[in-house]
Amino acid sequence: MNTEKQTDDKLTIEIIEIEENIAIKWIGKSTNRKPGNFLTPILSNALTNGNDGKKEVILDFRELEYMNSSTISPIIKFLHNAKSGNHRILVKYKKLLKWQELNFSALNIFQTPDKRIQIIGE
Amino acid sequence: MEKLILDVEPHWENIERARNETAQFLLSHKISDDIANAIIMVCSELIENAVKYGYFKEKEATISVNIELFKKYILVEVRNSIKDAKNQHFKKLDKTIQWIRGYQNPLEAYTMKIKEVAKKDLFDEESGLGLIRVAYEGESILDFYLENINIVAVSAIRHFNIN
Repeated sequence: MNTEKQTDDKLTIEIIEIEENIAIKWIGKSTNRKPGNFLTPILSNALTNGNDGKKEVILDFRELEYMNSSTISPIIKFLHNAKSGNHRILVKYKKLLKWQELNFSALNIFQTPDKRIQIIGE
Repeated sequence: MEKLILDVEPHWENIERARNETAQFLLSHKISDDIANAIIMVCSELIENAVKYGYFKEKEATISVNIELFKKYILVEVRNSIKDAKNQHFKKLDKTIQWIRGYQNPLEAYTMKIKEVAKKDLFDEESGLGLIRVAYEGESILDFYLENINIVAVSAIRHFNIN
């Protein structure tokens, strides 16, 4: 198991990689003016390390307290890129938080019929 | 009617304090968590736009934020100076709000915007999602007006009883 934590101001990204998957947990608040500078390399690496579907990449937003609209952009591009390959992606969010429900359910357009890409409110 | 007025210096690091003060204000007026989170987001997105696209020539220039609680709705208004109405950012504001208004369901507009963002270059920082997020996630009606030739006020109204 490999564990890594990266922090950018109020946002911490915790990455845990095991044989079956790479779990990327978002903790805190993402409020920077250009969050893509921090997030895009992390998300790109996750897709690379997910090895075109051999490992599932899990994005866990349940401990994310707030994100600005600039944060949504790299997430959208990540899902778009994942959809065009064979990557397996699971997005988890907290359904009871209305702001998360509204944000992440809107990303259902990236879900695939074969559940290769799933977006699930828990 | 209850009101919160903030003067925010146009620097990114001041936006968090505005979010916190908004949160405290809403909590003190027993606004539900869901609505409070929406209003904090609305306020934050409008201030972010003001910081990014405003024109602050004088040292003391600030962004003026006004949050008012009415019986049936909450009004958020953010005012800031701009260079002039011919400025490209102001024209884009006008165009974007008109575009959002063209959709009966803000989710449709938000989905269109997501698809547009998805095709942009990985490191293209411009998302253009802020205002549509205010309309969709914030469940707010957007408007704007020019107070003088160089002050713009952007408002968002969130009604309490949304189905």
